[in-house]
Amino acid sequence: MIGKIVYLLLRSLGFGAGTWPGEVALRINPHILLSFASQFRKGIILVAGTNGKTTTSLMIKTILEAQGLRVVHNASGANLLNGIVSACIQEASWSGELHADYGVFEVDENSLPGVMTNLSSRVRSDGEAISHNHEIAEPVPNCHERLLRYARNDWKGSPRNDNKQKLIIVLLNLFRDQLDRYGEVDVIAEKWQKSLESLESQDRKTRKTNEVKIIASADDPLVAHLGLHAKTTFFGINDKTKFLPKMEHATDSIFCLNCGSRLKYEGIYFSHLGIWSCTKCGEKRPNPDISEGKSPLPGLYNRYNTLAALCVAKVLHVPADLSNFHPAFGRQEEIGNVKIFLSKNPTGFNQSLRTVLELGAKHLLLVLNDRIPDGRDVSWIWDVDFEMIPKNISVAVSGDRVYDLALRLKYAGINAIICQRLDYALETDKILYVLPTYSAMLEVRKILSGNKIL
Amino acid sequence: MVINIAWLYPDLMSTYGDRGNVIVLQKRCEWSGIDATIVPITLESKVMSLMSCDLIFMGGAQDRQQKLVGEDFLKRKGPVVKEMVEKGIPALFVCAAYQFVGHYYKPYQGEKIPGAGIFDLYTEHPGDQAKRLIGNIVAEIISPLSSRVRSDGDAISYSEIASSKTPRNDNTIIGFENHGGRTYLGSKLQPFARVKHGFGNNGEDGFEGAVYKNSIGSYFHGPLLPKNPHIADWLIAKALEIKYRKVVTLQPLDDSLEWQAHNQMI
Repeated sequence: MIGKIVYLLLRSLGFGAGTWPGEVALRINPHILLSFASQFRKGIILVAGTNGKTTTSLMIKTILEAQGLRVVHNASGANLLNGIVSACIQEASWSGELHADYGVFEVDENSLPGVMTNLSSRVRSDGEAISHNHEIAEPVPNCHERLLRYARNDWKGSPRNDNKQKLIIVLLNLFRDQLDRYGEVDVIAEKWQKSLESLESQDRKTRKTNEVKIIASADDPLVAHLGLHAKTTFFGINDKTKFLPKMEHATDSIFCLNCGSRLKYEGIYFSHLGIWSCTKCGEKRPNPDISEGKSPLPGLYNRYNTLAALCVAKVLHVPADLSNFHPAFGRQEEIGNVKIFLSKNPTGFNQSLRTVLELGAKHLLLVLNDRIPDGRDVSWIWDVDFEMIPKNISVAVSGDRVYDLALRLKYAGINAIICQRLDYALETDKILYVLPTYSAMLEVRKILSGNKIL
Repeated sequence: MVINIAWLYPDLMSTYGDRGNVIVLQKRCEWSGIDATIVPITLESKVMSLMSCDLIFMGGAQDRQQKLVGEDFLKRKGPVVKEMVEKGIPALFVCAAYQFVGHYYKPYQGEKIPGAGIFDLYTEHPGDQAKRLIGNIVAEIISPLSSRVRSDGDAISYSEIASSKTPRNDNTIIGFENHGGRTYLGSKLQPFARVKHGFGNNGEDGFEGAVYKNSIGSYFHGPLLPKNPHIADWLIAKALEIKYRKVVTLQPLDDSLEWQAHNQMI
């Protein structure tokens, strides 16, 4: 209820209510996610990965809603624990009831283990809430005890569903991204592996209450490796016409996770995604359970997002109806004559560039910020293959680190127009493809539509 | 003139945009009329192809990748690199590579990991509670490294050629650091620069990087060379000097954009 008040208060004051209601609620009750989680009638779906979380989770939501199911979703992209709790608070009644079939949440790479711990602790047989999540602040003892009791009562007293509640974890991919903030790809993968292992051992003990399903990309060796040791539904692309002629520089996982030898690729789609195998130990790309499906959005990366969403539909036995899908904010969103392609790391940027060039873009605006959500380190722009931009395309640059970007383009043989002011850069009658980092994308939306997020 | 630039482990030790260093060396050679070839040296490469190079670059890595490189570098390529560095062939070692050319790296748990012993330095990780040293960094060059290799060697007249509005702050280097290990130099090893803003080698003694003969070790990402073109030119000029046994002056380039990006961070 306090969360609800905070939410309404912030909303009425004109703030985006992405994380604060959840943050406040978590301070009061660190196990609040638990009391929400147990209320979803059918299950919870977590979507994690470096790129594609927002689009994939929106696709899953669209598929479920097309069946008349009620879904709670963190649509604003606030994907830490506090953002997920905020999304629940937003949908909850004053008494804290949710009345929803599914929770569909995109989860930050580093937060996934914490969120999983929060959710899985509820399936302990004694119903006692435990949490190892180090992200949570120490609770105030009295409040904590009281609310814990509330959580327990809620758990015992609400046999809302006879069916097993499903917990589906979708692992999309892992690429280098904001190394100053996230750390290294391998470290994240290691944390995921530990969480998946502990979840599975819990799952075995408590099979009656809860059913865990893992969905993973077969084409990303790192993510597939995590899925190989579990009952996993794999998705992947089988399309030789989309193989790259040459491997990109921005790859992170082209050595076998099992034995350390260099992987052999029959073909690469982008970064380190492709048809891979290890000639030494025999570990290889698993056969995808789903490899066909029409993507509502252009770009090879969206084919992966679509396949992941289709896997969820398959696992839940619902039709994969994406006819009502509209792009998420900043992800191929069109505002007037401006098309926004969020591009926040080397692989994402390469994919956005390739897609807009395929779409026939003639005017590009690239915007580079170095704020906290973007990562303070802008070194990554040197891993992007700007060299692919043909000479007859006009390229403008803007953002906090406009000179860094102009300099990178100079060394790619492109003479970029430097725009100190973003609003001027957006003033055009032509069709403009904008590739911004995260905070820059919010600024672009603010200028064009008056709103940063939704 | 022709130079070969060895890029050590491009698919294993190049995590933080370090490819930028190689792109900058190649392009600046091209713009100066020097025919530069990038020679990727991977695990599978023969030592011979490394020996034919005139300039060496090696970048940062993740732990797993560095382990994969370990044996090949220590037993095969490292000793060759050491010999080349001793001969005065210029090299740039960034972050993990900088740690790797020292005597050892001591993780917070487990045993010391030996290095190639090319630079008289060692690195220690102070424990998992210690903060990583992360952020933008500015430092003042204190090594004997002279940046004035272009034109008549006069930095001021050069900056006038480039752009009168863009001062050429070639006594500073700027970049971004992100490292857990703390590096300590041996008594005879010269530091590269004095930190003005940031942490540097260990966050204690105020120094950043090291210079040995014509080789540089540094924690600077950003990457280092694009926004510090004077360092790139110094490496190129040294490579030509060693190869052709004469002092080489490079033709001036328009570096106004480089210095704008550099000056923005000071």
